[in-house]
Amino acid sequence: MSTTLPLFPAARSKEIDALEEITKLGRDIADSLDTETLRENANLNGDSFSGKISKFGSEYAKWYARLHILPREVEAAIRGNTVYVHDLDHYAVGTTNCIFIPFDKLLAEGFSTGNGDLRTPRTIMTAMALVAIIFQCQQNAQYGGVSANKIDHDLAPYVGRSFIKHFRKGLSYFESFKEGDEILAGSATPEGPADEEIYMDNTDLRDRYPHAYRYAYQETRQETFQAAESLVHNLNTMSSRGGGQIPFTSINYGTCTSSEGRLVMESLMESTMRGLGQGQTPIFPIQIFKCKKGINQSIGEPNYDLFLKAIECSTKRLYPNFANLDAPINMEYYVPGDPNTEFATMGCRTRVVADRFGRNHLSGKGNLSFNTINLVKLGIENGIVLGERKRADEEGFYEMLDEALDIAMTGLLHRYRIQAKQPAKASDFMMREGVWEGGDALGPDDKVEDLLKHGSLSIGFIGIAESMKAMYGKHHAENEDVYAKALAVVRHMRAYCDAMSEKHNLNITLFATPAEGLSGKFTKNDAKEYGCIPGVTDREYYTNSFHVPVYFQTSAARKISLEAPFHEVCNAGAISYIELDGNVRSNPEAFRKIVAYALDQNVSYFSINHPIDRCTSCGHEGIIGESCPSCGKKETEVHISRLRRVTGYLTGDYQTRFNGAKQAEVRDRVKHAGQAAPRQ
Amino acid sequence: MNLCGYYPESINEGEGLRASVFISGCKHYCKGCFSARTWNFNHGEPFDDKRQREIIREMAENPLLDGLTLAGGDPFFSAAEASSFIDLARESIPGLNVWMYTGYTFEQLAARPESDEYGLLRRGHVLVDGRFEQELRDVSLLYRGSSNQRLIRIPESLERGEVVLWEREKVFM
Repeated sequence: MSTTLPLFPAARSKEIDALEEITKLGRDIADSLDTETLRENANLNGDSFSGKISKFGSEYAKWYARLHILPREVEAAIRGNTVYVHDLDHYAVGTTNCIFIPFDKLLAEGFSTGNGDLRTPRTIMTAMALVAIIFQCQQNAQYGGVSANKIDHDLAPYVGRSFIKHFRKGLSYFESFKEGDEILAGSATPEGPADEEIYMDNTDLRDRYPHAYRYAYQETRQETFQAAESLVHNLNTMSSRGGGQIPFTSINYGTCTSSEGRLVMESLMESTMRGLGQGQTPIFPIQIFKCKKGINQSIGEPNYDLFLKAIECSTKRLYPNFANLDAPINMEYYVPGDPNTEFATMGCRTRVVADRFGRNHLSGKGNLSFNTINLVKLGIENGIVLGERKRADEEGFYEMLDEALDIAMTGLLHRYRIQAKQPAKASDFMMREGVWEGGDALGPDDKVEDLLKHGSLSIGFIGIAESMKAMYGKHHAENEDVYAKALAVVRHMRAYCDAMSEKHNLNITLFATPAEGLSGKFTKNDAKEYGCIPGVTDREYYTNSFHVPVYFQTSAARKISLEAPFHEVCNAGAISYIELDGNVRSNPEAFRKIVAYALDQNVSYFSINHPIDRCTSCGHEGIIGESCPSCGKKETEVHISRLRRVTGYLTGDYQTRFNGAKQAEVRDRVKHAGQAAPRQ
Repeated sequence: MNLCGYYPESINEGEGLRASVFISGCKHYCKGCFSARTWNFNHGEPFDDKRQREIIREMAENPLLDGLTLAGGDPFFSAAEASSFIDLARESIPGLNVWMYTGYTFEQLAARPESDEYGLLRRGHVLVDGRFEQELRDVSLLYRGSSNQRLIRIPESLERGEVVLWEREKVFM
């Protein structure tokens, strides 16, 4: 009789629950009650106003996606802690993940930001300024990283344009001016060679016009250095996505052998070594040096000096990382002379090369999304660790793994359908300007499906180490048989991805997940369910993908050779790290040797972590204990900035910007080489 | 002879990646020494045959090592035993490159060719010599703590009868 009484009390209470949930969600952000959520992403300042506002949006979007969008079994798997859907906040609107940007095309043709049109640049200074703008615009069109897969090749022509400009100026000042000429006479353009003749490697030009050449050469070098310096600064200072984040930028280089391309690389690395402001290590862009035999790997090869410079730069600034073009997995689509077929990464590790629809190159496409499987939970459920059985139940493990794979796949396909039905205008810059290959041919309301199919959908995994420990009592670095089983698990997942690629006619790949924001969540939930299990859930995080645990003591060479075979299997990308302690900048030979060994073992993507502490009082960089070895100030008196790497990205101060699980992981890292032994 | 520290892979005591072995005991008593506790000859664990062979096996199995560094303490106070260790290591690793740290000067060690200290000296490739002088401390120095200390090429120096300094090959920088 009364309309105020609910018709269905259960439904009514569901609404109240929902309202309570969403209210709590807002309160936690506004009042900074949940630091784990605020620090989920080391690149976002979750304590700032704009960071919080963006958290309001993303936390609601996640909540909404779980309640209304996700397939039931996927939602259940998230709750059950077996599958993780990354960047869930972008699920409902259909945003895609990451991309390799065709800078050559955008710079040559010019582009529009939506608010203004930009012409093709005439100088390297302008070209590098536009690179920053392109990165920024593209970042807003997706949720993951933006990468230049061949910045040396892309920018070389603009160094060339600057050289022409300076050369012509040099001609008018030095070569045509003769004794008795009227000094203030107007700029009578001197006869000179055609533009096509004016380039740095033209020795005839150098011999015929030594003064103009020298002038142009020096001016061009100086301009390129300045351009690189401002690019590095720009990429660390400009924000995107409502001001909350610095774009996740990566630049790959290493193979361009023209003087122009080499100058681009030299300038970028010199700027990186000089650092920002008073000499701080730049956090962005992630830099990746592409290693290729015959080009930059041995004495006598044209870019070997730049490889050594990359080593030097990395000992000082943690970048560049090293991409291995000679690894068999990366040779498959490599076409000599076509830099767009050279393996490169999105920085954190994402790899996108092969395409079943024929675009077997890098730029103009990227990863669309990925879901990660918690291998540890499967290990606990089927292993000996809980004392429920004497022998691991491998059949049970694989059964649960297949189930998890199916759910992850269901989620990927469901999300892909949402992404595919978006109109071109939703991704704005990305499609309109043809950043995604072919996008510029679409009308604003055209669906993007036919283009997105060239991208990849990936299944990732975390915690092989803890999973094996739970199954057999030992992880894959502790026992050879267990190692074989670990490799078999990863190969099984890869075979699944290959089979699904055929079945769904899409590019499905296997990913060694970088565990940002995830490494603690899985662990926390499993620890709650199963308690604290030594070697499994007793830390605040799970070990990355197939990595040998950071807390396991082993040699650098052994860690590399144990991890190398997994790289071949993870076709959506993987990285291996070695931890070095000590001041490696004073011992680059040790660094070079380790990198060379990793490349030789066919590690696809490699990097060395080492501590860079910085005294904010005197600027001394190196290893700083309780007090600065240079100025003697104690940490209690002056802030010591401690730079570390998390899931591929550097972050300024790991004690304030990392989430709890990541801080714990950094604390536990065993240095594989170079214990900080004091000196005599 | 006691062992007061062992790092299977170190980048801090010499060029490249090196196994660093710290031998207990030192009588230089430098003011400001970073590890005065290692002055004691009984500090650490016995560096017996078993432990020596363990370390040698690890070195032999490591494809990335550039060599061995003996530090301490000061290995020259245990010169005869340290020499035996190097000889044992070279049975498995012929040509093993060895760096050594000492508070003595090269001239002091080179002056007495019949001594055990000289015997140890001539087994090494590079010597980091001299006491740690606090007022000459400089954190920017390569592989050493104070500016009086030198990196010396041992074979060339012994041959010429004068100190030949070690310099990095000009591959980097």
